[in-house]
Amino acid sequence: MLNLDPIWMPDAQQIHFRLLLDAMARPGKCHSLTIAPEEGPAVLTVLATLLDAEVLLADPHTLLRSDDWHMLQVASAVVEQADYVICDGSRAPNFTPKLGTLPSPEQSATLILVVDELGQGDASLRLTGPGIADTESLLIKGLDKQWLEMREDWVCSFPLGVDLILLDGRQITALPRTTKVEML
Amino acid sequence: MSASYPFGFLNEYAKKEVRRSTLKAVAIPGYQVPYSSREMPMGRGFGTGGLQLTLSLLGKGETLKVIDQGSDDSVNAVNLRSFIEMTCEGINTTTKTDEADFIQSRHRIPETALREDQLIVLQVPYPDPLVVVEPSEDKRKILHGEADYSRLLVKLYEDIVKFDEITISHRYPTRINGHYVIDPSPIPRWDVPKLNQSKALILLGAGREKKIYAVPPYTKAEPLAFEDVPFRVENFSDENGQRRSCQRCGCTSSFLDEFVDSKTGKKVYQCSDSDWCDAQGSASVAEGRTPGATDEYPPTNIEQVVVANG
Repeated sequence: MLNLDPIWMPDAQQIHFRLLLDAMARPGKCHSLTIAPEEGPAVLTVLATLLDAEVLLADPHTLLRSDDWHMLQVASAVVEQADYVICDGSRAPNFTPKLGTLPSPEQSATLILVVDELGQGDASLRLTGPGIADTESLLIKGLDKQWLEMREDWVCSFPLGVDLILLDGRQITALPRTTKVEML
Repeated sequence: MSASYPFGFLNEYAKKEVRRSTLKAVAIPGYQVPYSSREMPMGRGFGTGGLQLTLSLLGKGETLKVIDQGSDDSVNAVNLRSFIEMTCEGINTTTKTDEADFIQSRHRIPETALREDQLIVLQVPYPDPLVVVEPSEDKRKILHGEADYSRLLVKLYEDIVKFDEITISHRYPTRINGHYVIDPSPIPRWDVPKLNQSKALILLGAGREKKIYAVPPYTKAEPLAFEDVPFRVENFSDENGQRRSCQRCGCTSSFLDEFVDSKTGKKVYQCSDSDWCDAQGSASVAEGRTPGATDEYPPTNIEQVVVANG
């Protein structure tokens, strides 16, 4: 009997998807991932929940091992064409992800940024926009400031843009394209 | 029957696709995300869009409420609920709005205000409000992208010229976060203000038309209207200007269905939301008031004459 890591199982993926959905619906709120991969990077939990052979993934900072690619069954793409991009948040971006088109803005990338820590750190953000009653504050450790500057450009003409999922190994949070980010 | 289906009936690939589309729908409020709506063991148009969302999102241990036009006992709600119970082992169901984690609804949003920890899925027959003014989907997608709703506003204006008011009774076009205009499914006007700054996430699924869209929590939702002709909800006043009350529970603040009493031929009014009506009824008993004339729901001596579309 094949002994499979729980992150590949439907029950765990359902739980993790609901965390992702709540994260996307309430930007800046941090959610703890309940099940971590037994081995391999924590970002695998998010990827296992969302990806299959129908989408394209880019891993410009080589955060995944070749075994992980086999398990994900996902096809690899250059970063400008990928539906999902995973990056080390401490390294500045040097690419433009897919921003979608005016008739089809959903054909845009989801960026998954791995940072050192969520909930504390040197970057202090004040968030407003859909999903936030008044304002939400978010502290991040290990995110290059250029990500937020580039994001401003990427999301400036709604409905085009990118959606960010941030992850620190334990927790996730999200910044959809509609969230206004103010750096304090 | 020996065939076993996975939890939630759909296979994991189908669920993942619905889930990915749902995340994009939340990230782009009001935009109709296309998805490959699967064949379900019931006809398209019977709530398969809402059903696929529910089956892809629901997890073990959650409590589900299924409503059809405000009632948990209508045929569509009963069928969908028993299908979900059959295919999602380990979930609970309830008829009480405040006990539910997850609500799937056809054409009503509960009277009880929803909380942050709840989620509502609405079944949508016709997702695109622009279809009445533009037959080409390619062109509609561009109009949506540019947030160009001038033709829709002309349509509303024509209504005012002809009838002195906007005559849309349900599926009232509503602008989400200042950009996309959605068809909020055939909810009555009464429910449209509940979309605005909702505490709960609202997801809308159209199975036949293969679209998923969302109104995230704490998001602006404005019904289309004009400065001099503001949006208004249904008026339940009688000829003397008195607010009609539910004949069963006496509530004067809920959305009412109109019935005809088959014995007397008189019109009677009753809460559309059966759970709300039950709660009001038991509250009035607790306070020593006499609840309305009928104790059964739905009452057996009357026929419903108003049947909403969709």
